[in-house]
Order: sequence, then structure tokens, then C-alpha cells
Amino acid sequence: MLDVKQLSARYGHVEALHLIDLTVGANELVAVLGPNGAGKSTLLRSIMGLTSSSGRVTFAGTALPRRSASAIARRGVVLVPEGRGIFAPMTVAENLQLGAYQIGGGGAEFAARLQHVLSLFPRLKERLSQTAGSMSGGEQQMLAVGRALMAKPKLLMLDEPSLGLAPKVVAEIMETLGRLNAEGLPILLVEQKAPLALKFAHRAYVIANGRVAAEVNPREIKSYDELARYYFS
Amino acid sequence: MIDPTYLGQILVNGISVGCIYGLIGIGFCVIYNASGIVNFAQGAFVMLGGMTAYLLIAKTGLPLLAAGVIATLVVAVLGVALERLVVRPLWDRNATMFVMILATLAAQIVVERAMLLMVGDQPKSIAVFTDLPPIRIGGVAIGYQLLWIIGVSVVLISALNAFFQRTLVGRAMRACAIDREAAALQGINVSGMLALSFALSAGLGAIAGFLVTPTQYTAYNVGTPFAISGFIAAIVGGFGRPLGAFLGGIILGVSQALAVVTFGSGMKNVAALSVLLLFLFFRPTGLLGTAK
Repeated sequence: MLDVKQLSARYGHVEALHLIDLTVGANELVAVLGPNGAGKSTLLRSIMGLTSSSGRVTFAGTALPRRSASAIARRGVVLVPEGRGIFAPMTVAENLQLGAYQIGGGGAEFAARLQHVLSLFPRLKERLSQTAGSMSGGEQQMLAVGRALMAKPKLLMLDEPSLGLAPKVVAEIMETLGRLNAEGLPILLVEQKAPLALKFAHRAYVIANGRVAAEVNPREIKSYDELARYYFS
Repeated sequence: MIDPTYLGQILVNGISVGCIYGLIGIGFCVIYNASGIVNFAQGAFVMLGGMTAYLLIAKTGLPLLAAGVIATLVVAVLGVALERLVVRPLWDRNATMFVMILATLAAQIVVERAMLLMVGDQPKSIAVFTDLPPIRIGGVAIGYQLLWIIGVSVVLISALNAFFQRTLVGRAMRACAIDREAAALQGINVSGMLALSFALSAGLGAIAGFLVTPTQYTAYNVGTPFAISGFIAAIVGGFGRPLGAFLGGIILGVSQALAVVTFGSGMKNVAALSVLLLFLFFRPTGLLGTAK
């Protein structure tokens, strides 16, 4: 579904990504692992056209526009960014409605999507009229994922969804992502916490210094020391 | 001691002109919220509103209301043209705020000079909307044009509030104001919102110009003073807060009216700048805002 070829990105003179090749197949959950500053977030930002990059990114057989995140989102590639990107002064309901912006934020289809999201994250149902910024970090992350699902994505990308959250909340969110993937939603998950990501992933890429250091099968990983070696390669 | 009737008259006049400043200030906020740009060509929209209405009435004999509606639409389109031709190319190149301010100021000057060449330097005016003697309440004369200004301003504020709070496009514009990148990730066309913000803002400026022209006059060079007053109103209200800008406009209008009758007409600008300085010193976030 997603095919990234020879993707490179720079911040001034610093090369953040170097000729990255990566794929996400239909129904796959692919993890991108690596230490802080390895280029994981830049990878997702480059795919979404938020960071200027060179190389080729195709989705479902056609090239994605290089510098228009909104056009890419309209193609069904949806990113839950690092830091969640929720609209804090707006209510939870407004945030969820904006997730379904492409279908006009109303009507039967919207109602069905909202019901689906609220069934996945029942806590949001109690908070619909509350401002998003007044919720806990975990609830905000649920909202960010829920809002992304309101777009009915064809590919969901998440940037460090566990960041700063309690383990119980992280487990809850990851279980939901695993369930969505099992229902057929392809997911590209950037995560620093390797054991967590590998528990759900079908495949994983390890990125270090802006390069793909290894592509691993989670079931073949015998110890995390093996992964750590790639981290510092 | 000032005669209470006289004071009442000053307040009414101040509120009326303050509503105009408020509408212009809201125009600043709408564009700033959608894009982070301070558009100093805002005064040109005010001048163009009054002048286009005048030209439509004088040259084609259109009724007043039709001229006002057409003038507003024409200026809204010109607002989009300004966005496409001047702002967008710079925005796409990530131009700094300083460059944007200079560019929009330059656009204001170009529009002024073009109007000077087209219609000359003589002031123009249009008839009051309701040609009846003023209403008298306890000795205070309230002209119908003042009621039009206050009434239309209140209706516009309510309509804008409903637009931003209740419609999907309004919410999308608010989302762009909060976090442009996150808005784009929802599939919201952020650059389309920028064009819409210029259309809205230009339309508001045009309505302000159309409303105020019968009480004063319009000329090629009225835009800059209006832009300055609207900008001060926006700062006093808390930049980016439309309701704050409206309240800021009223504070500014009343302060100017009080200064004119107390110290003379030469103190009008001193009053405006004093209000600005007082807020910058003692409440830099403005009435309702958090400074960005």
C-alpha cells in the first residue's frame, strides 16, 4: 500500500534521512524503531509532506504529493503527530468533527463513524462537550487517535503514541490499535519503546542516524540487546 | 463640570465610530487567526467599500442597499486578489512577519494611488441610509446613521460568532488559528482558509467603509487612519480575539470622542495612542486575549 523509495531529508546542512526504503502492505502493522533523534518523526513528516524531502512515496500505486499534507490526508493517509496535535481550546466533539472534515462533519456517515470511535474509546463519550485541553494526557491521545479514525483512514500513521503516558493507558491504546489492524487497517507506528511496538507489529524497521539499520521480524528477535546493537550502529 | 447630556452625546458618537474601528479590528483578527499575518492593507478595504458604493451610486444610479451589497462583494473579491497576488507568494516562501507587513503596506499605498488616479483627490460621500431627523432621548440626539452603524455591527458580530462556533468551515478556520499543521493533517485546505479569511476581512472592511461614509466622507487616503485605529482596537481587545477587537474599537472611539471635546480635535490621535500605550504597559494581552 505504502511504498517509500530513496527518501532523503535535510534540516539545513544536517541530513536527517538518507535514502530510506520502506513498505507497508495491506493489513500490516509496521513499526519504526530507533533512538531519539534517529529520524523517525522526520520520516513520517516527510511522507505527509510536512518536511521537504527527495525520493518517491507512493500510496496504493500512485505518487503522493510532496508538499501538501491536506491533499495527502484527503487520499486517506492520516497521521497522529507527536504531541497529538489536538485543538486544545475546542471541545472534544469539535475535534472529532474536524477529523471528519472531508465528509462535511455531519450526516449518517459521520454519525456512524462517531459511534464507532466512541465505542473504541468510551471515555470520550463522557467528555464530548469538554475542551480537549482540559483532559488528561491519555484521554488526549485517545482523542487524537479517535479524530484520525473519524477520517476513515486507509493508512494510519502514529508518531510515538506512548510518549508521556501511564503504562495502563498505553496498553489500552495499543490494544485498540492492534484490534483495528486485525480488522484490516494498515498501520505505520513510530515508537521508541521497542518491546511495546514489537508486541503488535508484523515487521519492524530500525532507524539509526537517518538510515535503515535493519528490517526485523519481531518473532525472530531473541533479545533486545540485538536491537540495541542496531540502534548504535 | 461636563453637562450629562453633552457627555451622553459624546458617548453615542464614540460608540458609533468605535463600532467602525471594531469591524476593522475584527478584519485584522480574522486574517491573523487564519495565517499569523498582520494585514496592513486593511484600511484599503474600508476606503474601497465607501468609494465603490459611491461610484456605483453616482455612475449607475443603483439604489443604496444594492450598491452596498455589490461594493462588499467586489471588495471581498479584491481581498482574495490581494491574498493571491501579494500574500500567497510570500507565504509560500515562509516570509517573515516583517516582510508581510511591508508587503501589505505597499499594497495599501498602491491601492490608494490607483484610486487617486481614478477618482481624483476630492472627498466623496453618499446619502445617509435613513433620511429622518435624529431621535432625541433625554436631550441626546441619535442620528439614524449611528443606529445603522451600531445595529449592523452587532448583527455582524453575532453572525461571525455563529459562523466560527457553529459551522464546520468556521471551526476549520479556528483550527487553522490554533495549529495550522494539525489542521492540514485533518485534510483542511489551510491555504484555502487563508483566501477565505482575506475575503471575510475585506468584506468586513468594506461594510465598515459603506456604513461610515455617510457620516464623514471617503477619499483615496482615508484608509491609513482607519487601519491604524482598527489595529489599535485589535491590540486593545487582545490580538486575534474578534469580540475583543470590537470592544477595543468602542473603547478607542469613546476615548477619542472624549479627547476631542475636552482638549480639541488635535488630541484625537493622542488619545488613540495613549489608549494603546496604556494597554501595552498595563495589560499587554489586551482585554480578552493572550498575546502571541
